[in-house]
Amino acid sequence: MDARLTNAWRMTVNEKKFIETALASDLRIDGRNPLEYRKITIKFGREDGSSEVQLGQTHVMGFVTSQLVQPYRDRPNEGSLSIFTEFSPMADPSFEPGRPGESAVELGRIIDRGLRESRAVDTESLCVLAGKLVWAIRIDLHILDNGGNLVDAANIAALVALLTFRRPECTLGGEDGQQVMVHPPEVKEPLPLIVHHLPIAVTFAFFNSEHTMVVDPTHNEEAVMGGRMTVTANTNGDICAIQKAGGEGVTQSDIMRCLRLASRNAESITKKINDAVETYNTERALRKIKRHSASVAVDVSISGGDVREPENKFFVHKGISELSRDQMERLNLVSEEKCTSQSSDINGGLSSSEQGRTSCQEGNATNFLGGPSSWDPYSKGVDSDSLKVSLASLGVKHAGISAPDKHKRGEQKSTQAMEDKVPEDAKPATSATDTSRTGPQMSGEKTLKDAVKPKDKRRKRASSSMNAS
Amino acid sequence: MMEIDRADGRTPNQLRPLACSRNILHRAHGSASWSQGDTKVLAAVYGPKAGTKKNENPEKACIEVIWKPKTGQIGKLEKEYEMILKRTLQSICILTINPNTTTSVIVQVVHDDGALLTCAINAACAALVDAGIPIKHLAVAICCCLAEDGYVILDPTKLEEQQKMKGFAFLVFPNSIHSVLPEGSLLVEGEPVEHGIITSVTHGLMSVEEYLKCLERGHAASAKLSDFLRRSLKLQLPSDSSKAK
Repeated sequence: MDARLTNAWRMTVNEKKFIETALASDLRIDGRNPLEYRKITIKFGREDGSSEVQLGQTHVMGFVTSQLVQPYRDRPNEGSLSIFTEFSPMADPSFEPGRPGESAVELGRIIDRGLRESRAVDTESLCVLAGKLVWAIRIDLHILDNGGNLVDAANIAALVALLTFRRPECTLGGEDGQQVMVHPPEVKEPLPLIVHHLPIAVTFAFFNSEHTMVVDPTHNEEAVMGGRMTVTANTNGDICAIQKAGGEGVTQSDIMRCLRLASRNAESITKKINDAVETYNTERALRKIKRHSASVAVDVSISGGDVREPENKFFVHKGISELSRDQMERLNLVSEEKCTSQSSDINGGLSSSEQGRTSCQEGNATNFLGGPSSWDPYSKGVDSDSLKVSLASLGVKHAGISAPDKHKRGEQKSTQAMEDKVPEDAKPATSATDTSRTGPQMSGEKTLKDAVKPKDKRRKRASSSMNAS
Repeated sequence: MMEIDRADGRTPNQLRPLACSRNILHRAHGSASWSQGDTKVLAAVYGPKAGTKKNENPEKACIEVIWKPKTGQIGKLEKEYEMILKRTLQSICILTINPNTTTSVIVQVVHDDGALLTCAINAACAALVDAGIPIKHLAVAICCCLAEDGYVILDPTKLEEQQKMKGFAFLVFPNSIHSVLPEGSLLVEGEPVEHGIITSVTHGLMSVEEYLKCLERGHAASAKLSDFLRRSLKLQLPSDSSKAK
């Protein structure tokens, strides 16, 4: 253990003096103004409810998961929210694995107060069966890189993860209405959490020289500062929490100044969070449209009928209920009765994008009117390989198209993508008389140049490795 | 030859798209992120610190591995992964250079979609290179999964692992060697070094022939993997020089 203490990083006296002298003339060592925030980058992970936030050099990841548990006895119809903070040893050489230290506990408590005690997350909507089953939301925050001001970054990560999290829908059934069935995301669209407001934490650092105060201290400034204060505020002008644990004394006027600054910063940060979550939701909706557009391509052929528009509407609803890939292969053989039965247990889904999607489907239908001349609907049908390739290439196309701010633009682009898809789908269907994989390879090479290279490399690797072994 | 239908359209010998980036974190001495398809792992290395733990041999350098799962408590599975990683990395590092020191490797799971351990081993190797820890050769890890009909598929996703699996094997091979020395000098007991196996962890039941088939496939794939590793580790020029803290 002594060896570990000798490895702890200490700032030299020269560096301390330099930072303090610079601050006396309102200069910070990274060139910011004393009241300026660092650049915030918000990224999302693969699943719903995972976020990655970078505040300058500080790097934090947040994951939200949910579980059905028994409620607390004194709150039988409220769900629960719990926050787990992990100061990972990769963030700082002084962070030890194992039990969280006092700064980790403090960070967890500040975020907890901001979210739970200010009623930001609605816990009553998490109740399933009063007194028996409620949803317990668990937020895991992993600190990956300590560049200073962990509280603010972790708070933003927690908020973003909560806003993008979707919990499974469950219905009560059984004879006495006591049986709870949890529906997987493929059957019913999972629901977002109800968040009333966004509490944003803003940290101030105070220094021993007269009345010097900075916002968002870096790691170096934290080693020099005399005291710190974290204010959690939201855009409504409410102060959700204030944390000043010891440290240097500060005058009342300075505290009031800090509160005003915190409200202002909270507004700009809230705007950034909302923008990021908007783009994520748009992308998520686009991902769902892409999946069932290929299914429309196949189904229209089988039903073969004259009336295309009502069928398209059924498939729009199917898209909303988020079909998995396996279900899509089965759609090759699906009958109309199955379509109608599936449409009956549909969820409301995304209301804002529904209209956009129907317009996109109508666009698709008009494309098909020109299509059939080169595509025989009564042939073997599109084999699953070409379906997968078309899905994969369509997915890459969407990655190539940068996430649009307006939803409408996204819809138009996806219709264009589908226009390109239709003739390509036709070619492998007619040429593929055997189930060899050369068909999808050819279509892959023709459609997208940027998707081709990695795929070609893998296929070359695969073929050469097969030759080698 | 039977054709197996994989959910994402890959052939049995095809790996998922690989991505590797180095030098992601600022405080850590070395860091790397490795992703195979959707599985993504972040690894960080803190260079030699003074002192070894109580049970370790002070005449050699020691490697300490900390595995951080995505959510949940640390349990036996995480401890097992830590042990496997530690022993694998100990066999590739040159332990006699800095005796009585501890090098910490911290692995953080970002997303798990199958073949997690192999992703972690690859990420840890890349992070060691980024930190500049002296190592003999790199290690590349591959996961081979055995389906019920005896067919071997490489790099399974989580869905494939849960559904198809009669057994699977995690194999770690040494990096293929590009050397300026003449051919003969690198042979160990008459076989080139790269034919050896550093680590092999198997789950489930498989016959000896099936295991040997896995080894063969894994070895062929490891050549491609080590090419990718070499290319991605070469690309970045050292722009950020001081990492003293």
